[in-house]
Amino acid sequence: MSTLEIKDLYVHVETKEGTKQILKGASLTVNSGETHAIMGPNGSGKSTLAYTLAGHPKYVVDSGEALLDGQDILKMTPDERAKAGLFLAMQYPVEVPGVSMTNFLRTAKTEVDGEAPSIRTWTKELSAAMKRLKMDPKFATRSVNEGFSGGEKKRAEVLQLELLKPKFAILDETDSGLDVDALRIVSEGVNRAKEANQFGILMVTHYTRILKYIKPDIVHVFADGHFVKTGGPELADELEENGYDAYLPEGADSESALA
Amino acid sequence: MAETENKAAELNIPVADPNDPYKIPAAMPSSADRAPRSFEVSAFPVPARDQEDWRYTPIDRIGEFFDVFKPSGETEIEVSMIDGSPLAEGVTLSQVRLGEGASGTVSKPNDRVSAVEWNSGSTATILRLDGEIAQPVLVKVHGAGEDLDAFHLVIDAADRAHADVVVEHDGDARLAEGVEITTGKDSHVSTTFIQEWDRTAKHVGNHRIHVGEGASLRHSVVTLGGDVVRIRMDQDFGGEQGELNMLGIYFVDPGEHIEHRTMVVHNHPDCKSRVVYKGALDGKGAHSTWVGNALIEPTAPGTDSYELNRNLVLTPGAIADSEPNLEIENGNIIGAGHASSVGRFDDEELFYLESRGIPEAEARKLVVRGFFGELVEEIGIPAVSDHLMDVIDRRLARGEDAAMAQVLEDK
Repeated sequence: MSTLEIKDLYVHVETKEGTKQILKGASLTVNSGETHAIMGPNGSGKSTLAYTLAGHPKYVVDSGEALLDGQDILKMTPDERAKAGLFLAMQYPVEVPGVSMTNFLRTAKTEVDGEAPSIRTWTKELSAAMKRLKMDPKFATRSVNEGFSGGEKKRAEVLQLELLKPKFAILDETDSGLDVDALRIVSEGVNRAKEANQFGILMVTHYTRILKYIKPDIVHVFADGHFVKTGGPELADELEENGYDAYLPEGADSESALA
Repeated sequence: MAETENKAAELNIPVADPNDPYKIPAAMPSSADRAPRSFEVSAFPVPARDQEDWRYTPIDRIGEFFDVFKPSGETEIEVSMIDGSPLAEGVTLSQVRLGEGASGTVSKPNDRVSAVEWNSGSTATILRLDGEIAQPVLVKVHGAGEDLDAFHLVIDAADRAHADVVVEHDGDARLAEGVEITTGKDSHVSTTFIQEWDRTAKHVGNHRIHVGEGASLRHSVVTLGGDVVRIRMDQDFGGEQGELNMLGIYFVDPGEHIEHRTMVVHNHPDCKSRVVYKGALDGKGAHSTWVGNALIEPTAPGTDSYELNRNLVLTPGAIADSEPNLEIENGNIIGAGHASSVGRFDDEELFYLESRGIPEAEARKLVVRGFFGELVEEIGIPAVSDHLMDVIDRRLARGEDAAMAQVLEDK
């Protein structure tokens, strides 16, 4: 049983126009086995929260903590956070030319586990996981994410989630750019991985359609850099009906685009 | 009277018509390589930084190669097939006195150090290749430490030969090396030169290359270490439809100077050349130089040439000099392109790999491996490209613990 506690997190980025405050006191606790949906309008800071937790150098933490079983991951390098049990499935997975998926996955697995996986079990595990995600075996020999379609990239993210077995998975708009079939395959992958490893999930999305496949236990509304409302799955239905307008600051333009 | 006037007009230097500047080729003096070609050391001045050819080279670190010396003869040379077996049928190895047989037949020395190499050495190693040779030939050159030495190698491929040669350098050395490569009509040959020197080694190399009519040559250079390594490669074609593919990879550590200069000369119609050099530089004082010269002579219509150099600077403090020079003296060509870049590591790629648990140093290695791997894959001769990837992996795995070294070496 693990716990991820985000405490009063303030984060800014440096832009050409100057310092921009994005997270303004975000607090959240997630336990193993729980699925939290984090919903909110565009520009509210949901993705910033995800990338800050993973340690992207662009996001500067002003104050606050993110404790994974008591250890502040914000003080760790990105690879140390991964080893501590954090996984971020990215909205736009990065292409790494010349590095084969196979070599990349095996290197990552070796680092996360602290020892190289035995070749026989590893190969079996990899090809079985790829098969379940309906990925063409040839992906293993291709460069990381290079030339993959949007859907293929998301499958590759879920493949890593299954293989690296984190304690907490952050899914950043994993549903974006997926057609119905791909959404189902990717969601089944997430559910399977969760079933096997009982990790906690922070699912960032602004559409409700993925919630039909990955059932949240708790739904949060995130607006203007912090959590503004928390409820059960019924909160998602309410958002579906009414949009985010109620949660936007007075006079703000709504960019809400609920499916 | 009118006739005389016409004659006088012919003798005049043509002046381009501003309305049709391409009608008459401008009478421009050629800036093409007018440097001497000679077997005499005295034909060349002692290198200095104010000479164009030596402007990037730390000449004070290689002064021992500027005057004729007595070679130690201690460099160890071993020649076999790449799997270690004896030379196959069609491969003939011989030693001749320098200047006899096939030695000294491919152009002439073109700078001070190559003339010094020619005049210091006494023998040449001749590798004659004839027919279809299935496996690559491996020439192992093991350095003789701090004692100055000279080595002269001639690779002589017969008409219609199909053969691959890998020349591997390692150990510590102070080596002046001359290489002549001549390929026969319609031959298909690859030559690969690997410099895996110790950090203290100094190596000046001079490749003189002649590509036969209708022949293809793939010439690869992989330099992964050495205090100062400077390799100059001069090439020309022996007839129409020749194809030259030059590929280079270099990895430069702090304080090292690694220099490659390619000179491609299109002197016959319808020949094709590609020069692609890629390097990674790591740390303070790491210095690489690539100078890519391409000359398309008036006698070479239908030329298709392209050269490219990419540098990946891994950490601050490294210097990459990259200089493509193109001279086109014939307007009737397919193409003459060049590209050159010096770039930093991509932070997004790095973050992606790190977010999967891969520490920054490992992530850099993976990306470097990929950067080179793409190029090595293009070689298309598995026995050679596999061998090269092994060499690169060995270099990248330096200083790794056993488990990670294993992962880096598994493909």
